[in-house]
Amino acid sequence: MLEVRNLMVFFENALALNDFSMEVAKRELIGILGPNSAGKTTLMNAISGLLVDIRIKEMRRGGERISMYGSIDYEGKDITWTDPSERVKRGIVLCRERHPVFKESSVMENLKIAGYLMPRSHIKKTLEYGLELFPNLKRLRHKKAGFMSGGEQQMLAILMGIVANPKLFLLDEPLLGLSPMIQKMVMDTVLRLRSDLSLTILITEQFARPVLPVIDRGYVIENGILTVKGTGPELMENPEVKAAYLGS
Amino acid sequence: MGILIYGFINSAILALLAMGFNLTFGISGVANFAYGAIYVFTGFLVWILINSFALGYWISVLISLCLAFLVGVFIFYAVIRRIKGMALSEVIATFGVGIAGMELFRYFGFIGSKYGLPPIFGGNVSIGHVTVDLQRIMIGVMAVLLTLFVYLFTRHTKIGLAFRAIAQDERTALTFGINSDKTVALSMGFGSALGAASAILILPLGNITVEGGYDVLLNALAVCIVGGLGSSVGIMVASGLIGYAQTATAFFLETHWMMLVSLIAIAMILTVKPSGLFSQQKELEERV
Repeated sequence: MLEVRNLMVFFENALALNDFSMEVAKRELIGILGPNSAGKTTLMNAISGLLVDIRIKEMRRGGERISMYGSIDYEGKDITWTDPSERVKRGIVLCRERHPVFKESSVMENLKIAGYLMPRSHIKKTLEYGLELFPNLKRLRHKKAGFMSGGEQQMLAILMGIVANPKLFLLDEPLLGLSPMIQKMVMDTVLRLRSDLSLTILITEQFARPVLPVIDRGYVIENGILTVKGTGPELMENPEVKAAYLGS
Repeated sequence: MGILIYGFINSAILALLAMGFNLTFGISGVANFAYGAIYVFTGFLVWILINSFALGYWISVLISLCLAFLVGVFIFYAVIRRIKGMALSEVIATFGVGIAGMELFRYFGFIGSKYGLPPIFGGNVSIGHVTVDLQRIMIGVMAVLLTLFVYLFTRHTKIGLAFRAIAQDERTALTFGINSDKTVALSMGFGSALGAASAILILPLGNITVEGGYDVLLNALAVCIVGGLGSSVGIMVASGLIGYAQTATAFFLETHWMMLVSLIAIAMILTVKPSGLFSQQKELEERV
């Protein structure tokens, strides 16, 4: 479904991703693990097309020079330079890191914004499904998103992604800053969504413990370079991964 | 009683002037300093369409609104797009475009007091002992209606929701397929069209002059700065404050002191609360 080949991304002279390749098959759940500044977010931005937009805007105002080499194929077509809204239309939806909700808007308004490209009937149908999945959000639906807790904001962010009707759902550090209990809830939700909506999911995380047991395959990156890849159980058995990400 | 009514109308005028400027700024963060030029441009355009092309009033108004919208969109693509995000450059560039546009009218001989727009309704009404012409009543009504329209538009249409999304977080908006360039261009267009609407409503009270454009920009800025840039509640409160202050000044002192009121208001608010009375962007940060 998705194939990233020899992707290299530079911010000025700093190398954020170095010759990174990966492939994702339909309905897989793939984990991207790595510490801070490993290049996880850059990879997500490259796949979702945000990087293309950021690059254009930086170029216009003479800011940071961003260069990208390599290619990204999605459903057999090259999308390396396709603009982000076109990718959303084709089903690549990114949920950015740090609970990306519109803080000044109410929960309902956030969800309506997320359905920008969708017809009203689709939004309505998805909301019926989604609000049943997150009873908390249903209760808070008139509250300003900025006043909710981090966990609630993350749930909202995920539901917003679902409203945008993804086929390939990119989750960038969804567990960041959440308590272990909420982390488990988020992971359970992701699994539920995956089976209900037959999604293909790509999830990045620094903290591997809640992620490793559930993923089909994983890639570990450090300093923009792929260091280990393998199936979930393989990674859990790998001594280096164990030491670095599971703390044992 | 006179102060009350005329103060209200003056406030409505200020609110109308500030609305378009505020809409564009609130959504895209672009301070459109060509706003006064668009106001003057609309005035002369309607005048030309009515008097030189002998078109009807409403058709001229419609054409002018559409053209003002297009001018706003054009300014975005031609000028602002490549400097977006650099506030100072945006101000200088749009101000430059504005001055060029306004002074072009002077160059082509649009000077003097023969240029005026017809009122929508002629005639007067009496409220108590005060006589008010219908155009001023119309301004009050339209200020309320347009505020309502903008409020509903930004909350219940796709474009309006895209406006609110871009205003809050451009990159997250992008992840839902909201094209930021297009949305910002539309916000410039809507802001300009609102400015044009205010010109069509307000200009019948006096003459269309090039200098009027500078006053409009100054008043719009004063209201937006006092109210807090990007806040619609702030606009209402600030235009009320400045509006009544101006009317009282004109009533108790002399008319030519009026212009000072907005300048003093800007100076005062910048020393006391620089983010404005109701700065929306800060609301959450201050509370959480």
